[in-house]
Order: sequence, then C-alpha cells, then structure tokens
Amino acid sequence: MIEIDSVSQVFQTSGRDNFLALSDISLTIGDGAFVSILGPSGCGKSTLLYIVGGFVNPTQGVAKMKGRAITGPGPDRGPVFQEFALFPWKSVLGNVMYGPRQQGVKPAEAEAQSRALLEMVGLKGFENFYPKELSGGMKQRVALARTLAYHPAVLLMDEPFGALDAHTRTRLQNDLLNIWERDRKTVLFVTHSVDEAVFLSDKVVVMTRSPGRIKEIVDIDLPRPRRRSELLLDPRYQKYVVDIERMIDDTSENELRP
Amino acid sequence: MIPPGTILSRAAPLLACLGLLAIWQAASLTLRTDSFPTAWEAVRTIPSILGDKESLINILASLRRMAIGFGVGIAVSIPLGLLMGRSRAVASFFNPLLMIVYPVPKAALMPIIMLWLGVGELAKILVIFLGVSLPVIYHSFQGAKAVEEKMLWSGAAMGLSAAQRMIRIVLPAALPEILTGCRTGLVLALITMVTSEMIARQSGAGNILFNSLDMGQYDTVYAMIIIIGAMGIGLDAAFEKLRGRLVKWSEPGFEIPLSFA
Repeated sequence: MIEIDSVSQVFQTSGRDNFLALSDISLTIGDGAFVSILGPSGCGKSTLLYIVGGFVNPTQGVAKMKGRAITGPGPDRGPVFQEFALFPWKSVLGNVMYGPRQQGVKPAEAEAQSRALLEMVGLKGFENFYPKELSGGMKQRVALARTLAYHPAVLLMDEPFGALDAHTRTRLQNDLLNIWERDRKTVLFVTHSVDEAVFLSDKVVVMTRSPGRIKEIVDIDLPRPRRRSELLLDPRYQKYVVDIERMIDDTSENELRP
Repeated sequence: MIPPGTILSRAAPLLACLGLLAIWQAASLTLRTDSFPTAWEAVRTIPSILGDKESLINILASLRRMAIGFGVGIAVSIPLGLLMGRSRAVASFFNPLLMIVYPVPKAALMPIIMLWLGVGELAKILVIFLGVSLPVIYHSFQGAKAVEEKMLWSGAAMGLSAAQRMIRIVLPAALPEILTGCRTGLVLALITMVTSEMIARQSGAGNILFNSLDMGQYDTVYAMIIIIGAMGIGLDAAFEKLRGRLVKWSEPGFEIPLSFA
C-alpha cells in the first residue's frame, strides 16, 4: 500500500516567486490496484510519481510505502519513463538482465528470466539488438521488461505511451493489461489521455493545474479482463470518458493563471 | 560522390598523398632552392633515418614520452571531466582554472617548466600531459552533463549507488563523447611532443628535425616531417579502429530503425 500524506512541492524558479507544483495531495493506493493520475500538462502529475519513486523529495508532507516513509529510489518501485531511458550501450537482453544482475541473480538464471520476459513483451528474436536499432514502441517494450525483471511491487509509469503513435499506443495498452492481469502488480500510471486512463484503470485521479490539486477520484467500475472492442461500445465506458472530460474542461478555466 | 566500398574510395587516401607529393615535386623542381628539396629526395632519406640506430632510439623515446603523457593525461582528465559534468560544485571550482589555462599555448610554458624540472623527460611529459588534458576534460564534461537524468534514475531504482551510477552509467553513456576528446588529445600529444623537443633539445624526433635544420640538412628535415606526419596518421587510424569497436552501439546498425509496432 502506498500512502501519500499532505504532500506539497515547491520549485525554485528563475523569477522571485516560487512555483507551487503540488498542493496538499493526499492519496492512498491499495495493493494490486491500477491507478491513473490524469491531468493537463504542468499539473504536477509526473512530480507526484517521482515523489513515490523517491527521485524527488517533497517540500512538505510524506509519501509512504508499506507504512515506511520513502526516502529514495529502490527496487520495490520500478519506473517506466516516456523517454524509455534504456542503456544504449547494452543489448536488449543486457538491458533486461541489468536489474536482476544488480540484485545478485546468477548470470544464467538472469538470462533465462530475461529471455522469458522478452518473449512475454513480444520481443523474442531481438535479444541481441541495440536500443538504437529499435522503434519507439519496441524500446518501450524493452523498458517495461527491464523494469519487470527485478520484480518491483509497484510499477511507476510516467506517460509511458506518450511518445508513441496512436496504433502503437493501442497495442501497448492491450499488452500492458494482459501482462498486468497475470500478476496484478500495483500500478501508478500517469497520463493526459482520458481514454487511456479509463481503459486501463480501477481508479482515475483527476488533477487540476497551478497548483496541482486532486479534483476528484473516480472509481472505474468496468468488468475485467477488458477488451478494447467491447469497451468502446459500452455506454458505461463512454459515460466515464465524457464525465471525466467535463471535469478536466472545468479545471482548465484557470489554466492560464500563473 | 564516390560510392563506399569501391576500389576507388579505398584508394582515395593514398591517391591524395601521392597527389600532394607530386605537387611538392613539381614546386621544388620549379623553385630550385637548396632549402626546399624535392619530394623524392625527402622520401629517399627516410630509410636511412629509420635504419640509423641513433635516430630510431630518438624516435622511440619520443613515442614513449607521448604515450606516458597521453596515458596519464586521460587517466586524470576523464574522471575529472565526468565529476565536473555531474556536480555543479566541482564544475564551478575547476571551470575558471581551465579557462585560464585554455588559451595558453602549452609549449609556451616549456621554458618555465624547464626551470623547475630541467630539460629531461619530466618537463616534456608534463607539457604533453597539459596538451592532452584540456580537450579530454572538456569532452568528458560535456558527455557527462548530457547523460539523461531518467537513465540514472532507472539505475538508482535497480539499487545502484551514486558511485556505481558514475562508473556503470555515466562513464559508458558518455564514452562516445569522451573518445572524441581523446582523439583530439592524441593529435595534440603529438604536436606538443614535437614542440617540447624543439624547445628542450636533447633527444626525440623533434630534436632530429631541428638539429638537421641547424646543420642545413634539408633532406632530413623534410623526411622527418613526413615521418612525424605518418606517425600522426597511423596513431589516429589505430585509435579510430579502437573507438569504432568500443562505441559500436552508438552508431545505428540499420538505416531505418526496425519496427513492427
């Protein structure tokens, strides 16, 4: 369980005023839940994810994992970034093996596990390629496999499909859900796409911007496993999307306020 | 454009050298002065220099100095540059110092260094070291600064400590840039090596060159210029081969990235 307790984040800016990125955020994420954080760009949603990851220390408040305050990054929380952040000097297999090897898993065992993971994300046969030789969608599959390889309890996904074209994005969403159905890890998923958030999540946290606040938390009560073709025709899905879009429209009225 | 891989493209560097020698030969035959021997006379002198034990010892001594200066130079400069690239405090401490040293021709420091260390090995190695250091520090600095933050975060999440991230993420990620600096450093090592021997004459390739200039042995002077030039080309080509192997991953293997989704 992740508890975010009255977290605020202030950034120093070049001007005299400091920028309040997050204001008094409190949120609890249960084990095994798929939770999306949705909001316009600049609402601090990625910052919130980085705080849970331990990459950024909050100015105020505390984030806890299993009751213990988060003070830094750790292998219990695995990030997947929009920028992929693969190690370009390592092959696809080398990237995926990196985490397990760091955790002290024996080379042969790490390799076998990594090959299995790569097969799961649909990259069998690409083990010896370098990241430079892959498309964006394939890179993100490698990044997902690399993070899954060290068995984090929580996946922290920072707009992971944001840099991909619509078709690739849809395929990766489907594959992510299929993978998630197997072991039901806790997922914290940052996105600015309403469709994506509703399609994937148990719970959507809608944020406002400047300063970033939680506007509403919407429980997505749709059956699983979800199929895109069925869901798009489901009036309940459509209603969630429309309702959340309205919420975001309301919040964007104050968008231009500094 | 000459298509790559053809005989013509592979022979191009050789043709360029032969062309240069031909122009030299023609110019020298036209001018007909003692201080400008023909290309053929200069080339003909090379075997007698390389066959002479004394000269060979001199040239090998030069190479040895250069290797030590270059080796110590990169051993100090790469870690310093990487630290500067990742720590604002380290960068703001060393940057002004480097800015002061940067525009000074390193060979111009030779007389001062000779006062401290004499005309022997140490003074020359120190000058070569200074010549090598700046481009290597600069490129290591740039390379380390450009390392993606998220890449380091990914490493931190896997449990890499700050020191491990420096060695196992920053160093390999910055390697293409570091090696670009080393390549410049290698050529600068050769240049400072020759100039240091010109100022502190005692031994070395530069010593042969400038002694024969004093004695009016122009064939030897030009032959030495060819030998030093060839050393530069040879070292650079060997280094490029090594660099290509070390950072193969940074060059795209295909014209267009593979894609299926």
